[in-house]
Amino acid sequence: MTSKRKSTALTEAQCVSLAQKILRERLCQQRLPEQPVGLESQYRHLLELLKRTAVHGESNSVLIVGPRGAGKTMLLGCVLRELMNLKEVLKNVLQVELNGLLQTDDKIALKEITRQLHLENVVGDKVFGSFAENLAFLLEALKSGDKSRSRPVLFILDEFDLFAHHKNQTLLYNLLDVSQSAQAPVAVVGLTCRLDVLELLEKRVKSRFSHRQIHLLNPLSFTQYVEAVGSQLSLPQDFPHPKFCDEWNRSVTKLCEDKSVEELLRRQFNSSKDFRSLYMLLFLAVIRVSPSHSTLRESDLLEASRLISADSKANILHGLSVLELCLIIAMKHLNDTYDGEPFNFQMVHNEFTKFIQRKSHTIHKFEKPVVMKAFEHLVELEMVRAVDSATGKVQREYQLMRLMLEHGQVMEALQKYPQCPTDVKQWALSAFA
Amino acid sequence: TPRHATPSIPSRSAPARKPGNVLEEARARLHVSSVPESLPCREQEFQDIYNFVESKVIDGTGGCMYISGVPGTGKTATVHEVIRSLQQASEQDEIPQFRFIEINGMKMTDPHQAYVQILQKLTDQKATPDHAAALLEKRFSAPAPKKETTVLLVDELDLLWTRKQNVMYNLFDWPTRRNARLVVLTIANTMDLPERIMINRVASRLGLTRMSFQPYTFKQLQQIITSRLNRVKAFEEDALQLVSRKVAALSGDARRCLDICRRATEICEHSAGLQKGSGLVAMSHVMETLDEMFSSSYITAIRCASLQEQLFLRAVIAEFRRLGLEEATFQQVFVQHQALCRVEGLQPASVSEGLAVCQRLGSCRLLLLEGSRLDLLLRIRLNVSQDDVLYALKAD
Repeated sequence: MTSKRKSTALTEAQCVSLAQKILRERLCQQRLPEQPVGLESQYRHLLELLKRTAVHGESNSVLIVGPRGAGKTMLLGCVLRELMNLKEVLKNVLQVELNGLLQTDDKIALKEITRQLHLENVVGDKVFGSFAENLAFLLEALKSGDKSRSRPVLFILDEFDLFAHHKNQTLLYNLLDVSQSAQAPVAVVGLTCRLDVLELLEKRVKSRFSHRQIHLLNPLSFTQYVEAVGSQLSLPQDFPHPKFCDEWNRSVTKLCEDKSVEELLRRQFNSSKDFRSLYMLLFLAVIRVSPSHSTLRESDLLEASRLISADSKANILHGLSVLELCLIIAMKHLNDTYDGEPFNFQMVHNEFTKFIQRKSHTIHKFEKPVVMKAFEHLVELEMVRAVDSATGKVQREYQLMRLMLEHGQVMEALQKYPQCPTDVKQWALSAFA
Repeated sequence: TPRHATPSIPSRSAPARKPGNVLEEARARLHVSSVPESLPCREQEFQDIYNFVESKVIDGTGGCMYISGVPGTGKTATVHEVIRSLQQASEQDEIPQFRFIEINGMKMTDPHQAYVQILQKLTDQKATPDHAAALLEKRFSAPAPKKETTVLLVDELDLLWTRKQNVMYNLFDWPTRRNARLVVLTIANTMDLPERIMINRVASRLGLTRMSFQPYTFKQLQQIITSRLNRVKAFEEDALQLVSRKVAALSGDARRCLDICRRATEICEHSAGLQKGSGLVAMSHVMETLDEMFSSSYITAIRCASLQEQLFLRAVIAEFRRLGLEEATFQQVFVQHQALCRVEGLQPASVSEGLAVCQRLGSCRLLLLEGSRLDLLLRIRLNVSQDDVLYALKAD
């Protein structure tokens, strides 16, 4: 199939789908890059550390700390990839991967460790013995090891802070204790997004941790950010259709220099520097490319950014009926007059009937149960929320509520509301209803 | 578990590489795991414990001792050293034979497992906790077999606390039996543990033989490092002094001290790779290490945050100042945030974006937040001092 593609020229449609496939892998599946960008010193530090464990049998512990989407797993993945390429490492290292979200207590974590190490109490994929026996067995196994003869074990603890919430922190104590005593060589690598992770550790656990922390905080400048966008979007040189590839890459370069795109990226950069949200934006743009327009255009990016930055509550407001909108305006007025004090349905209803009687000619008078139903609908959408959740004790009409909307959100929604009656708009604008 | 399994880690195909140069040699010696034959600066404590255990072994009586001290002051290592030299003495027939058993409260899943582990180490039997307790009770009530003393080390004693305290009670009651010949050495962190968590009849059985390990002073730390290095010349004298003074001022934890020295050799090695230097760990390397290991990262984190995140922190402080409180709801902060956006000439963020910014700051713990279900009403607190935030934001 591929040889056929190379011999005969690809059609436009095939090129587009292939390009999309490549970019999708890059943006959604978190493929490891050739080399981590902007993390050289951290990369070297971690690589040296793990290499010493693997080659010299020195036990170590390290924490990788950085906000979400800063590339912690990527860094570790790149380091491990390079480490495993060394000949003297590949067959001499055991690897145990744990995740705080999966191994929610020490019992499960211990079974997982035993399973991944293929200790003797594993039959097939099942681990036998009680929790206490498993722990004793694992510790005995690690204790029997020795620095220069037994294989080093790399323990990778993803979501490290969740392991600190386990009972007595037994697992952490034991792993770190092994790393600080003359037993089998281990390296404990923790990944976390909490900067205060060391404060979670118990005193004796903390004392056994080596206090090495690798921080991934990206001091990226805007120009570097735009460069990263360019390199993420361009197609590789070995793309089977060179002409399409050239055209695509040229369009990407042009796109990065475009004023409105720059403004959009600047906005994204200002709100967050993490790459995961950027990839989401680029992904939404890339999937809009089709055979009818085969290169990325600025309108694709603008549309993607519009989708991403939409305010979720404003979207809900657009879908409300006029009656529900009127109730929200009534609540806004109550908030304004009584300075954010909670209200109940009865007050909202009074406000609403006052409006109907005095001002409105377009909205006919609704029965009270109908208004109640609309109010309940708003409660279901969590636009309105009960102050205390003691349900059942108070009648529905008299339960104290709060509006979960900003002043600005209501006004903006009114501006955009399709065919909003004029007197409702005027009512919303008038300060004293 | 298979009956006669010998737990082990598979061995490597090629043996580990030996240290190649001076710095690697120093690093291997400085690793916490390479405990020296005799611990420097703990001679007095060594002698006290030695005398206690030796006298009990010679007399053929039993007793308890409580050892306390903050982590990293050499408690467990000293006891191990005592046992090692006593074993040597008994091999040369200076004192009668004795058995040594060790348990650790952190290395068991439940306090009652202590019985199981003691029994297994004494007689190689496996039993349930209840059965093991009964067997041990029988063993210590009857005269000891071969008239042999048993020395039991209980590390992390506070983990053996149960509501009825029967595990602790038994551990301290057995030595008082007439023919049990059991010496119990217990180790924990806090000095007042017996008074704090033990009921009277347990504390009284523990007795008053107590010892506390003081945190190391800077001179002792310096001596520890020098004795470990043992004439391997890898450090400048001043550099060692700086490390030990710094650690002594903070905690007096020997583990910390050794870890810092080890990291300093790495930094030295790396910088020597760049420029052919003296190869000795100098003051500058130690300074760099201390910076790396002790400095809080909050300020760098704030400096590296995105513009909106920085503005949000500013808004939090502005709102705190306005309210005169240390707590505000998201709604209040958001109003300030939008005002700040306008001042800075940015397009004001929508509520969703504002919440996302707030959550990001919360997930890395610059802010402390309530659950995100509360939406606009969630309360915000700072996890850093206001001065730190202002300093971080001003400097750029």
